[in-house]
Amino acid sequence: MCLRFILGIALALMLVGRANAYHAYVSNERSNTVSLIDTDAWKVVKTIKVGQRPRGIAYTKDQKYVLVACGDDDTIQMIDTSSNTVADTLPSGPDPELFTASPDGKFLYVANENDNTVTIIDIARRAQVGAVQVGVEPEGMAVSPDGKILINTSETTNMAHFIDPVKHEVVASVLVDQRPRFAAFTPDGTELWVSSEVGGTVSVIDPARHVVKQKIEFAIAGMRPDPIQPVGINITSDDKLAFVALGPANHVAVVDVKTHKVLKYLLVGQRVWHMAFTPDGKYLLTANGVSNDVSVIDVPALKVVNTVQVGELPWGVAMSDH
Amino acid sequence: MKRIGFFFILFTIESVLLSPARAADPRYPDWPCVQPKVPELSATSMWDGPSIADVGASWQDDPKVKDLVDLIAARRTPLDAAKKAISEFITGTPAEKQKKAKEVFAGVFDTLSAQRSEVMDGLERVARKEMDLAGKIEFDVGNLHTLEDKTDADQAKVKTLASEIEWSTRIFEDRRKTIRYVCDVPTTIEQRIFALARAIQQTLN
Repeated sequence: MCLRFILGIALALMLVGRANAYHAYVSNERSNTVSLIDTDAWKVVKTIKVGQRPRGIAYTKDQKYVLVACGDDDTIQMIDTSSNTVADTLPSGPDPELFTASPDGKFLYVANENDNTVTIIDIARRAQVGAVQVGVEPEGMAVSPDGKILINTSETTNMAHFIDPVKHEVVASVLVDQRPRFAAFTPDGTELWVSSEVGGTVSVIDPARHVVKQKIEFAIAGMRPDPIQPVGINITSDDKLAFVALGPANHVAVVDVKTHKVLKYLLVGQRVWHMAFTPDGKYLLTANGVSNDVSVIDVPALKVVNTVQVGELPWGVAMSDH
Repeated sequence: MKRIGFFFILFTIESVLLSPARAADPRYPDWPCVQPKVPELSATSMWDGPSIADVGASWQDDPKVKDLVDLIAARRTPLDAAKKAISEFITGTPAEKQKKAKEVFAGVFDTLSAQRSEVMDGLERVARKEMDLAGKIEFDVGNLHTLEDKTDADQAKVKTLASEIEWSTRIFEDRRKTIRYVCDVPTTIEQRIFALARAIQQTLN
């Protein structure tokens, strides 16, 4: 009886211990692999061989696949999350870099870096259903929470294009600072944040009026401005904090979403670009391209608590929604 | 060498000189790498430990610190061996550890930043030579065409000039390959500084 009780407690503790274990998929641009990290052990448990130059990476809404854009193979590969092998492909058009899905998970919108196009794919049919001409070197992609507006940023044209995802046409363009790399809506949909890598700012755009209402600037004590190059933006689901990856500055800025004030800079790994929250929002994982690792930020504590070595030139991180 | 061959050489040279890497940043017209040029590193991009502003060059005054810095900064020292040497050296009371950590990091940062600058200066120097050589090849090819267009062209001169162009082109190509390889070196040095900075900082945790 006593033994059964102890075993029961031990089992319960094991289950509790594993309760936060998720899988993070990290695209390694140079080694042409995806590293699978177990967030309980904080270690790589599998390395998946994928196509050439994997960059943009995200789960499908049904969590059955992780999609990875293989730019030099002109395709998006679908990693089956039960077998962790490449199971299928999507016709992405040339040189896919970043992509985002419609809120219902049916459509995928892909930035084709060398083709000045956003390709629209019906995921279930594995078929292209449209294409929209945008500015030069399209990269950042975002969809408004209601799914009515699609955003693409073009790195050379320095614009955020507002696209009607039904009519497949650009309805407005907003000029931002040089080399816009990433776009993210606040979860409540009232603001669109666009990072400018060379400009060194994040433009906060009113998506209803198509105007920049504020620019967030970054300054790290003792550091010249050149390496401060904002790229990835991740905003907590409660709309309170935004994390902005500052590239070769090796820091992530923590920004108050309401006041747009920078609260803190966290030293992570080298050349930090893209990031993802764990589904419980407790951790933020950052892909550090030069130090070839992933930093783990404890979100409530605003502290870097772990580092996981991955493949060469890690670019992006995908985490499940739940 | 046939005329079409020289057109190909010129095309290659032009495409190298006008490549996106060269046009990427107008502030550094001689920078030959695809990797963006970051002229100076800042210690704060590598280190969020105690400030090293007060250390200056004083780390060189302690022979033990200097020896350790020489050992761990050298690329021939495996990173694991460097980390072991760091943890063996940075010991004592919290105040002693902090002093040693600051000095070792300042030494690593100064030493490897200087090496990185030397490599970057060298890259730009070779890139300038490459530009000059490209200009010479272009000039020689033009002269060769003028010579060849003459009905009574001196064949010996044509042959000599063609051979010179071929030789210059070979040097141009070899240098181009070397530049591409060396372009990775500044990043390799940054990786080492960062890895050592992390190891030093861990001794304070």
